[in-house]
Amino acid sequence: MTGGTPAESASPVAAPRPSTLARARLATTLLAFGLLTLVTCLLAPLVGSSHVSLARAFDPSIPFADNVDAQIFFVARLPRVIAGALVGAALASAGVVFQAILRNPLATPFTLGVSAGASLGAMLMIILGGALSLGPWSPVPLASFAGAAGAAALVYWLASSTGRPMSGAVLLLAGVTLNAFFSALILFVQYLADFAEVYRAARWLMGDLDVGGFGPIVASLPLVLVAFGLFALLPASLNLLSVSDESAAARGVDVVRTHRVAFVSASLATSAAVSLAGPIGFIGIVVPHLVRLLVGVDHRIVLPASALFGAAFLVACDLAARTVLAPVEIPVGVVTALLGGPFFLWLLVRQA
Amino acid sequence: MAARQTGLIAVLTLALLSACSQAVQPGAPAATRRLVSLVPAATEMLFAIGAGSQVVGVSSYDRFPPEVSSLPRVGALLDPDTERVLSLRPTLVIVYASQGEQAARFEAAGIRTYTFKHGGISAAFNAMRDLGRATGHEAEAMAAIERVTEQLNAIRRRVSGRPRPRTLLVIGRQPGTLQGIYASGGTGFLHEMLEIAGGVNVFADVERESVQPSHETLLARAPEAIVELQAQASADEGLERRVWLPLASIPAVRTGRIAVLSGEYLVVAGPRLAQGTEALARALHPGAFGGEEPPVSATASSR
Amino acid sequence: MSLVARQVSFSYRPVPGRADARVLRDVDLTVRSGSVTGLLGPNGCGKTTLLKLLSGVLTPTSGAVTVNGRPMAAMPRREAARQIAVVPQETHPAYDYTVLEMVLMGRHPHLGLFQIEGPADIAIAREALAATSTAHLESRPFPSLSGGERQRVVIASALAQSTDTLLLDEPTASLDLGHQLEIAALLTRLNRQRGVTLCLATHDLNLAATVCDTLVLLRDGRVVADGPTADVLTSRAVRQLYDVDADVRFHEAAGRLTVVPVAHAL
Repeated sequence: MTGGTPAESASPVAAPRPSTLARARLATTLLAFGLLTLVTCLLAPLVGSSHVSLARAFDPSIPFADNVDAQIFFVARLPRVIAGALVGAALASAGVVFQAILRNPLATPFTLGVSAGASLGAMLMIILGGALSLGPWSPVPLASFAGAAGAAALVYWLASSTGRPMSGAVLLLAGVTLNAFFSALILFVQYLADFAEVYRAARWLMGDLDVGGFGPIVASLPLVLVAFGLFALLPASLNLLSVSDESAAARGVDVVRTHRVAFVSASLATSAAVSLAGPIGFIGIVVPHLVRLLVGVDHRIVLPASALFGAAFLVACDLAARTVLAPVEIPVGVVTALLGGPFFLWLLVRQA
Repeated sequence: MAARQTGLIAVLTLALLSACSQAVQPGAPAATRRLVSLVPAATEMLFAIGAGSQVVGVSSYDRFPPEVSSLPRVGALLDPDTERVLSLRPTLVIVYASQGEQAARFEAAGIRTYTFKHGGISAAFNAMRDLGRATGHEAEAMAAIERVTEQLNAIRRRVSGRPRPRTLLVIGRQPGTLQGIYASGGTGFLHEMLEIAGGVNVFADVERESVQPSHETLLARAPEAIVELQAQASADEGLERRVWLPLASIPAVRTGRIAVLSGEYLVVAGPRLAQGTEALARALHPGAFGGEEPPVSATASSR
Repeated sequence: MSLVARQVSFSYRPVPGRADARVLRDVDLTVRSGSVTGLLGPNGCGKTTLLKLLSGVLTPTSGAVTVNGRPMAAMPRREAARQIAVVPQETHPAYDYTVLEMVLMGRHPHLGLFQIEGPADIAIAREALAATSTAHLESRPFPSLSGGERQRVVIASALAQSTDTLLLDEPTASLDLGHQLEIAALLTRLNRQRGVTLCLATHDLNLAATVCDTLVLLRDGRVVADGPTADVLTSRAVRQLYDVDADVRFHEAAGRLTVVPVAHAL
């Protein structure tokens, strides 16, 4: 057995090996992803199902209300791209966080029932047909957010009341149970509703980034920003937690508090995203895995990179959704599923 | 919730593609005495052709004519109550094209079925004629068809010669928002009604009964008039018109040529077709009916 | 620094029907600075739990653990982690971190909230790898290592934490003979050359005999003996702990006590 000799002076670092320059890697990786996202978001509004003259769109001499090109660009396309970036970033980073605290690579932002709560809230509002609204929030997104927050609170309460400290396993138990319960409720509500409402609800469930204005985005923005702010506190702890709760504690991590912050922030991001655009699947699981293939498994890089890549990914998917079969639009959730499904299969095969 | 269920009919009419070719030939034999109808349009037709007294069961969504309120309900498209139907001992059951399974069961029990095919106005007339034959009221059926045809022609004449606005015919929308818009495509009876009423469908080129346009598409198509059909009146009609304001470059929005019409007769492809068409025509061409001429778009954008 | 457990008791959860569900009962223990203390006892005697209490990961149900006189419960986790490092029995990370990434995790208690490891931290990590003879594995994914290599890397990770005290849970379980001896030598080296205080829980009586200068024997959550290895490690003690008749004698060539189990005591 070699290596029993006393340590000679370590060979001087020749070429910097990838694992050694964490700081430099973080900077360059984020720069690269940031550039990708920026370019995607700048190009996306330029493309669409109808032809837009950019010269006219940006011509200040034409009154906005008369300028069709400007309206298409600023009312139809731009909010859509921004919503896509926001939702993509939120869902991708929530996916990373949930996968970390649940210690499960198959966990998604929807695993713990937050999305089911959102869908239930939206569905109830569609069926009750209420016209109440709160500032820039219109009824269905508001009800959807309330449902999501309610589901998250319920999961949290369930997970805290078992007598055992908050841990991934406990959250998973509570969340999956609640998810099943809410999904059953959704089916029940659908059954009771009439056909038109079921149709509208089904359409909401397919996801829709066509928000048609900046109002909904402004309403969701504070929530997403708070979530991202909390996310910033997590990466180093997530690394340690993904080894084990106990070794993390032995290295100075406040395990319970980290679980709480992670759960709250990831649920907040998911709730905001689903309320804005409906439950768009696969972002929360495809993007983190793709990013890990590219940059390694250090959460300090994976989390921000996933947010950036998630934004670019969803904007690109939406671009495809609204142009491939123009003028017919494919629901964006279908595009993400069509791309995500095969990728997932490939992942599974690769690991086997 | 019950009253709003007729919204179903609008969606149904447009969502179901009538790909069925199992139109059972209502054969020659004696007039059928006991009729059950799962299709509201068929129910209206039966009453319009004088077979109302033979109807013993109607769908959950039937509202017209008033006589149906006292009749037993047997479910509808998604939840037909086969047992209930059988308990009424019908001799003819009118089913949807997609209810082939139920039809087979009825046939197996010795009950004749008629498959109601959704489609354009001619499909509706065909159905009326078939039902007339099946119930022994053929003459009345033909007369009813004549009547409706004449009414439609009258509307056509009234609005002829007037400029035909490019019209967006909205048949579904998330209340209070511009989300989830369904509009009439270039086929189907709503499209035909619009054309008769003196409008040009902005989606005339789309070979589908319904379209789900994005905001971009709406802006690009730039309709000169917007007519929205609702099964029942909304709580705040002003709000439902105001939701269009963000899409300010649409000519219809600029000139305020947005009409919201409510009533089941608008969305049922039955004997009240002409009524619905006239309502559309009045909305598009009030001048032809003794009202004020509609505002004309300042700049017709040629996209 | 001294790590003291005073009248420490612990139960995981109240178990209905069991009057006394305590895993540890009124344990008094002192880990003297610079010593190598071994915790010995049969399965279920509470060794692992005691280690977790000593590291502060668990809080005693009654009694207290103090670090240099300060109660562990009052100490922030980070601060405790700068004084005490833990080598768990098994390490199964959910992701494929490289060896260096695993070892760098040990630097966490020394880094600020948004701080990333710098050259100094990497140097410390590399030095720890060298000390455990795993420097050549630096870029390998952790799950691809053998059991022995993994254990050494985890020890390196604990070393990188730059603490005075190291707690180890079954450090040689699942290692082959060669690796067992290597770890034993490493631990001795750490203690003698770097002055690291060690406390290890183990089944391996011969390891205890080799490495530990102090032994604490536990049975059913109670301390049944506590003192220098030579005094405590006797046939009687082995019989008391394991119900096994064993021959305990000094081995000339090995230069230490050896324990040879002979038969099950009935």
